[in-house]
Amino acid sequence: MSSFDLLEISKHAFMYSFFIYCASFIFFAVAVMGRNWSNRNPEQHMRKWGRIAFTTSSIGLAGHLLYFGTRWAGGTHIPVSNMYEFMSFLSMMIMIAFTVVFLIYRKTTLGLFALPIAIIVMAYAAVFPREVQPLIPSLKSIWLYIHVTLAATGESFFAVGFAAAFMYLLRTVNFKGTDKSDRRQRRWVEFTLFSIIIVIGFIVAVFAFRLGGYETVFTREHVTTSATTGVSTSKVENVAYTMPPIIAPYDSTTDHMESFIGITEPLFHAPSWIDGITAGRKLNTIVWSILAGIIIYILLRLIIRRSLGELVSPLLKGLDPDDLDEISYRAIAIGFPIFTLGALVFAMIWAQQAWGRFWGWDPKEVWALISWLYYSAYLHLRLSRGFQGRKASWLAVIGFLVIMFTLVGVNLVIAGLHSYAGTN
Amino acid sequence: MKRYRRPVQIVILFFIVILGGYAIGSAVLGSHDKPEVGDKPPSFALLGIDGSVHHLEDYEGKAMVINFWGTWCKPCVKEMPALQAQWEKWKDKGVVILGINAGEDQMTVQNFVDQRGVNFPIVLDSDSDAVRDFGISPLPTTFFVSAKGKITSIHTGELDLETLGNQIEQLVQP
Amino acid sequence: MIINTKCECGHQNRVGTVLCEACGKPLFEPDGQGNLLEMRYDGAARRSQRANPTWIDRIWNFFSSVKVAIYLIILTLLGAMLGTIYPQESTFINLSNPGDYYKTTYGTLGHIYYILGFSDTYNSWWFILLLVLIGSSLVICSLDRILPLYKALSKQKIQKHMEFLTRQKIVYQGDIEGSPQEWITRARPFLKKKGYRVHTEPDALLAEKQRFSRWGPYIIHIGLIIFLLAVLFRGMPGLHMDEYVSFPEGEIKHIPNTTMYLKNEQFTVEYYSEKELPTEFQGTGKMLPKLFQTKAVLYECTATCNDPSKKPVLKEVLRHDIEVNKPLSYKGLKAYQYDFDMTPKLRSVQPVLVNKVTGEHYGKFKLDMMNPQRSYTLGPYTLELKNKYMDFMLNDDGEPSSKSPNPNAPAFLFVVKGPDLPKEGSQYIYFPKQIDKEEFQQDLINEKLGGLEKKLELDVLAMGDVDFAKSTTFLNIRTDRAMPFVWIGLGIVMLGLVLGFYWTHRRIWLRVDQGRVTLGGHTTKNWFGMRREISSFLKQMGITIDEKSLDNGRNKG
Repeated sequence: MSSFDLLEISKHAFMYSFFIYCASFIFFAVAVMGRNWSNRNPEQHMRKWGRIAFTTSSIGLAGHLLYFGTRWAGGTHIPVSNMYEFMSFLSMMIMIAFTVVFLIYRKTTLGLFALPIAIIVMAYAAVFPREVQPLIPSLKSIWLYIHVTLAATGESFFAVGFAAAFMYLLRTVNFKGTDKSDRRQRRWVEFTLFSIIIVIGFIVAVFAFRLGGYETVFTREHVTTSATTGVSTSKVENVAYTMPPIIAPYDSTTDHMESFIGITEPLFHAPSWIDGITAGRKLNTIVWSILAGIIIYILLRLIIRRSLGELVSPLLKGLDPDDLDEISYRAIAIGFPIFTLGALVFAMIWAQQAWGRFWGWDPKEVWALISWLYYSAYLHLRLSRGFQGRKASWLAVIGFLVIMFTLVGVNLVIAGLHSYAGTN
Repeated sequence: MKRYRRPVQIVILFFIVILGGYAIGSAVLGSHDKPEVGDKPPSFALLGIDGSVHHLEDYEGKAMVINFWGTWCKPCVKEMPALQAQWEKWKDKGVVILGINAGEDQMTVQNFVDQRGVNFPIVLDSDSDAVRDFGISPLPTTFFVSAKGKITSIHTGELDLETLGNQIEQLVQP
Repeated sequence: MIINTKCECGHQNRVGTVLCEACGKPLFEPDGQGNLLEMRYDGAARRSQRANPTWIDRIWNFFSSVKVAIYLIILTLLGAMLGTIYPQESTFINLSNPGDYYKTTYGTLGHIYYILGFSDTYNSWWFILLLVLIGSSLVICSLDRILPLYKALSKQKIQKHMEFLTRQKIVYQGDIEGSPQEWITRARPFLKKKGYRVHTEPDALLAEKQRFSRWGPYIIHIGLIIFLLAVLFRGMPGLHMDEYVSFPEGEIKHIPNTTMYLKNEQFTVEYYSEKELPTEFQGTGKMLPKLFQTKAVLYECTATCNDPSKKPVLKEVLRHDIEVNKPLSYKGLKAYQYDFDMTPKLRSVQPVLVNKVTGEHYGKFKLDMMNPQRSYTLGPYTLELKNKYMDFMLNDDGEPSSKSPNPNAPAFLFVVKGPDLPKEGSQYIYFPKQIDKEEFQQDLINEKLGGLEKKLELDVLAMGDVDFAKSTTFLNIRTDRAMPFVWIGLGIVMLGLVLGFYWTHRRIWLRVDQGRVTLGGHTTKNWFGMRREISSFLKQMGITIDEKSLDNGRNKG
């Protein structure tokens, strides 16, 4: 089989497994929500549909593994070397972590929460360019692959820990209570759900405009004056927006712009401290994601006429909160050594091999360290009384936020403000 | 066990203070790679145009003016007469002026020196070892080293006769 | 103040003991009666807890507290975050004036950032102080807990106080038939099969497994201490070297501060061909590097090393193709591929002297750019090298001089003597590079110098007569004597993590009192698995119960 064929198979496997996961999610939802449908034995219903859903998710995972294997064979290197490949791998590892935890605890409801995370991460992967890229010399190292795969494995266990912790919160937060603490808890649960919807908003916005083939191009003349010779050199940079520009790059002119609902000029220009021409595009993308997220959220609220938390929490009835707390802790405890080995130890070994220094205080490295410190604080806190249950769950939720910031935010925000580490 | 507890505590706290103090101290003072005022100049062993090897240690007990230069560098060439004049004035009063040429070959340097009538000691830093150790970026750079072997000032750029004279006066002051 | 630390079983406990060291009866209850027992460190007193603390004890207690450790972790975490807001000074190779840079690039905020010292967060005194404090906390926390825990675990009594059992997180009580002895003898093999070590008394039983996992956290801490020490002290003089050295192709160069020399035999850079690139890159002119490689030979100097007047005696010790990710490594010295420069650098030429009138050749001679020979005899002529200019230019006074010491535009001034020439010789300038010959008009200069260009000419006949370094490779030369300790520390950390997280210390206590069996279970992690194990054990003993009912739910809510 030629490498082209393999990559074709890989492409299809990715797509099919995505849809199979979606189907599996629906089955999990039927399993959990259908309990109370008339003339049914709730337990029997849950067991039957739970089995169907888990089988489906396992088929999806098999497809995902097929994607991974064929892309590896077709591209001749382990497919974790760009954002698309890494995010696909992460979602695959989340599914594996889910499968492991599911086999231990057999909690059908966990699927209802773990699958959406995997699906969202997978859809996020699809946003990035999919082509197999040849490796630059610094990426040609076995240590790099061990580092990336193990780090992603550790992170996926944290993701399952997050799912269980969030379930704990939805299960225990009092949605009828009127006192201050109940209201606060509700607000934050809702906010967490809203944040997830913003990510969905981003994916929806990207694909909606991609489907419409939208493009606008800005140019910017970048003048630099050499400190030694005093000679000014100007460089013309182009940047293509795939979403209608709410915010144009700082100091740029419109090359050509497709009109969007009658708007033919960008509404704002980025401030000067948003440096670099791609930073403007990133800011624009963030604004669109939040807008799309808000629209989706408002639509959902109009349809269901309650807060999302109120909608979801009844699904968790019958689950033992202590079990959820333990699943969350257990997942994090399984993930922590793997994360340490992958994200720190092997990262150091690779850095030592490639650049002669095992640590360089690069933002990505620092954020990996921050995640590690965060989870070690979590583990120490769990030792003391009072940091089990609700508080620990909030910590696990925030911890996953830290992980996501390390994976996505660092590239998007920090690298966007500065010149280094330029990923799309 | 109880008997040893206090001494163990004291020993451990002592080590923490010492090691921690060292770690923080070296962070604050910085591990500077180039010599600064108050430091000892880095030692060197360089071949002079006279054919002999010059070591920093050869000049122990003498005040020194160490001048980094090159024939292609205009300000270096311009300040040569000042250095030569001061050399003639001070050479018998315990002051050494040493020119370290940055990376040129014997012939170029010899021709230059003959042409300009320079006769203070000139050494060749052919591998740029001294340039690296002294942390030289622009030429000329001149180090003033006291008889006690401490750098008293570092001058970057061209020196005129008067400044050079004043600097040497300060250097030999007791 | 006298605190009564004597338990009703007669055992004298130390101050701060939570559970009697002998029978396990709770002695000290901060949050009231009846809750689940505090099983950390098995209820043993931490070493630092004593009745009348002195100031040393107070410092010690400060570092011994987990709460303080957590605060330190969080402070370090926040500090590290601050350092990622703007790029750090250390990420720039040449930043002569950081103050200006932050102000002009990032405006007022950048200026404040710089003033507060966050532009060099990770080398700031407070960040290092935090690391030192974390290190101290690691040492003292571990010391304070290892010994008491070790003692508590190594001399466990089999029969524990009733209250100790009923206030565990896993509790079962039920009536049994037959004698206690018989029940306990029957239980023994089942527990053994599950991997427990079983100790029995006539009417009590203690089963325990994987105690070693209790040491996991302390092993992690020891590893971290080694790691931190290595990191904080690797900058000590003599332990660390970090130099960037350029190696022109074909030259042996000294590695500073060592007795080693390195020769760059060949430097190669390869780019991906258009075909290998993904379609989005094709036709964009974007070059994606495939390989940077320096074929290096390492020499060690064996004699006359520090004497610049003599040539060092070198012995080849290693050959290695240095690539990114494949550094050269020899006795702690490492050379990493860092950068390269493809500008060729002329080393020597071998021109022949040609008589322009007769066309006669007078032989070839080697003219080195650095330290050339001073005179050459060719046929009837002698060439004396009078001066050379590596980067030829005419200065303001119209005199030939050199712009730089690099052989960019080399020129050689000879005095030629021989037949038909004046006795004192005739001056002749020679530019080895054809391009310079034309640019600086060699013939015109020679005409002014004495008109020799009509009679004689220096000419390079073949490409083989030109020797130049095709490229220059930049290697990062490092030694880091603390590295082995960094890896050992990390290895120990990993060992501790695996022991501590993937195994759990499980204990089951049983006692039979008047036909009623009481079971207490404890595990460090994974209560779910523990309950499952105990319910399966009870099933084997003929008692069927729901796993969940083992959970002693007193601590709910």
